[in-house]
Amino acid sequence: MWAMIAKEFRELRRDRRTVAMMIVLPVLLLVVFGYAANFKVSDIPVVATGPQAGQAASLLPAPTFKVTEIDPHASEAQAETRLRNGTATIAIVTGGARPLLLMDGTELFSVQSAQGALSRLSPPGGMSPRVKILYNPHLTTSWVMVPGIAGLILVFIGTLITSLGVVRERQSGTLEQLAVMPFRAWDVIAGKIAPYLLLAAVDLAFIIAVGMGLFHVPFTGNVGVFVLGAALFLLVTTGMGVLISTVSQSQGQAIQLAFMTLLPQVLLSGLIFPVSAMAAGVRWISYILPLTYFIQISRGVMLKNAPLSSLWPPIGLLAVLAVVVLGLAIVRFRRDLAAGGGS
Amino acid sequence: MTALAEARGVTRRFGSFTAVSGVDLAVSPGEVVGLLGGNGAGKTTLIRMLLGLLRPSDGDIRLFGGPPGRAARKRVGYVPQSLGLYEGLTVAENWSFTTAAFGRAGVPVPDRIAPWARDLVGGLPLGAQRQVAFAVVLSHQPELLVLDEPTSGTGPLASARLWEDIRAAADGGAGILVTTHNMEEARQCDRLVVMAGGRVAASGTAEAIAGPAADLEEAFVEIVTRSGSRPAGA
Repeated sequence: MWAMIAKEFRELRRDRRTVAMMIVLPVLLLVVFGYAANFKVSDIPVVATGPQAGQAASLLPAPTFKVTEIDPHASEAQAETRLRNGTATIAIVTGGARPLLLMDGTELFSVQSAQGALSRLSPPGGMSPRVKILYNPHLTTSWVMVPGIAGLILVFIGTLITSLGVVRERQSGTLEQLAVMPFRAWDVIAGKIAPYLLLAAVDLAFIIAVGMGLFHVPFTGNVGVFVLGAALFLLVTTGMGVLISTVSQSQGQAIQLAFMTLLPQVLLSGLIFPVSAMAAGVRWISYILPLTYFIQISRGVMLKNAPLSSLWPPIGLLAVLAVVVLGLAIVRFRRDLAAGGGS
Repeated sequence: MTALAEARGVTRRFGSFTAVSGVDLAVSPGEVVGLLGGNGAGKTTLIRMLLGLLRPSDGDIRLFGGPPGRAARKRVGYVPQSLGLYEGLTVAENWSFTTAAFGRAGVPVPDRIAPWARDLVGGLPLGAQRQVAFAVVLSHQPELLVLDEPTSGTGPLASARLWEDIRAAADGGAGILVTTHNMEEARQCDRLVVMAGGRVAASGTAEAIAGPAADLEEAFVEIVTRSGSRPAGA
């Protein structure tokens, strides 16, 4: 038995990837996710508008609220635009008989934290503000989760299934065969990822339909904008799948790596915890994750009726990610193919 | 006669390791050239250079008189040791994919593999898989066939059938480059090139290489040993 144990340790010592998975990764995940997972939200972005905007903003306690903009000339409609754009989660509209608090119901934890903090406030003159929760008035969890989970499933299909498909081709030796066939590298790449893109698109439509039918999630926005965002997102996730396949020698390694990209997207993309509530040290990770931007687009279109003009930042950033990730994947895959499938 | 594939003074280095060193080799239409050598002799590296999968560090590779590009590859059939078949597809589906890739979609599955047409390749015995791979590679009537250990793991009957097919292809005008460890099979080649330590250690007909003792295996071991390499796999 001791010989067996010694042999196992010797093998493990040389298998650096597994050692890293066992020791380094858990510590890293604990630190990153420990800072990211926060049910008590602070720094909720607030915009204050109307004649008493400055006065109203000064009443909001830090660190729960973070007033990002005071605009005495902005109207209620303009305040709502800030919420639709995602630049603020709460808007205080002054100028009426009572101040109006607009809250973005797609930010569940933020709104719940804000409600808790506001209930502890004693408003001046005993005049409590009117509260209007937009986009998800009953703070229904499924309404917020379905658009995000749709994205998560696309990450799973696009990244994991694509990477497995390409690695399987290499392991079976057929990639070498493809390399000596009269295909252009682009034919092989496009032919390889097109079926996964199509399947993922069908899957997305199905998930959204089930979400709408089963959980009554509304789809208030423009289908075209949603399709544009989803297409870009799929290109990124499929590109990640191809990229993973180019650095994986086996399907096991591809699965390991795909899950390493999947986990941060679950916890750091804003799917569960608001990105604005994360510690600054880990928040930057959110900004390089494609799911972060897809969630902004899917929730924006489905729940907030956000137009293209509101969603161009996440769409633009997804386009940049698509170019970078897919470009890198194509370059590496072409190199693999030129070498006959050996990576 | 113009060679279908030609290596002229080809060398391939990987860092400080030289896998192939100054090799000359040519395959002409209608001839079967056997590439013999132990493990690490440089056979696979040479084949990969001939197919355009690897660039030589020095020397020149010509395929149909030009560089081994996409146009030249249309005229080549290659069966790697792993066969290059999709095990999750049926024989007919593999056939359909390859014929379409070579612009010959719609060509029916040949009679000899038709009985397995609906079988998954992964479910067939290795001998049958090799026959399928050989039939598939002939589907676009290549002018040059490169076969890496075509009979490895097959029984004597399947091997004999495959060699009948190889000879038939050569009689039809195709040039064939075949690697083998089997000396009986090597005898069926028109010409042999013995590689050892990345160099051509001997070349000529089987009879010429076997010498007066007429024992090809013994001659092979001696050639490889003399060149300082281990005759692995012989």
